[in-house]
Amino acid sequence: MSRLLYVHTGGVGTPERSATPIYLATTAAAMDVEVGIYFTVNGPTLLKKGVPETLIVPKYDGQGAPLRRFIDQALDMGVKFYVCQPSLDLHGLTQDDLIDGVAMIGGAAFNDMALEADQVICF
Amino acid sequence: MVDTPTPDRTLDTKGMLCPMPIVKLSKAIKELEPRQVILLEATDPGAIPDVAAWSKNTGNPVLAQETVDKVMRFWIQKS
Repeated sequence: MSRLLYVHTGGVGTPERSATPIYLATTAAAMDVEVGIYFTVNGPTLLKKGVPETLIVPKYDGQGAPLRRFIDQALDMGVKFYVCQPSLDLHGLTQDDLIDGVAMIGGAAFNDMALEADQVICF
Repeated sequence: MVDTPTPDRTLDTKGMLCPMPIVKLSKAIKELEPRQVILLEATDPGAIPDVAAWSKNTGNPVLAQETVDKVMRFWIQKS
């Protein structure tokens, strides 16, 4: 099975950047690709409880959808979500502050995933 | 009109945009038996290259396809 690893650095300050890596990962999962998203830098702010429901992914006509929809699609398709502690510390977050379905990893595990993946795609 | 197989199931994704047609297709094909055929209907402008890429990666062949009045139809067999 092919493997893709997405790196998501966008946070709540850039809602227009929030959904794209998530729905591309969802599409990869639909193609039977093993896929994960590593949320780092500002990425973990998207996973704080309550944020996905209220953060609207913008659309030109004002009819944007909440980020939660994209996250639920991804998790439903088997996309794995990862964060690491330092990027949580950057925002004063702990794992308890995050939505369900997010796994904690460290830098070594991330690098190992990158080495094992067929491609790493960074946002 | 191309010569097309009789589908075991039809999946209407007309009006849905990327990535929903592919996500729905992925889920629907998992519910089929090998060699059964699903008819996917789509209006997403990217559907033709997307279905081709999906087929190449999942190994489920596209038996036939047609486009009539901006509606694309794909007959896909579960491998």
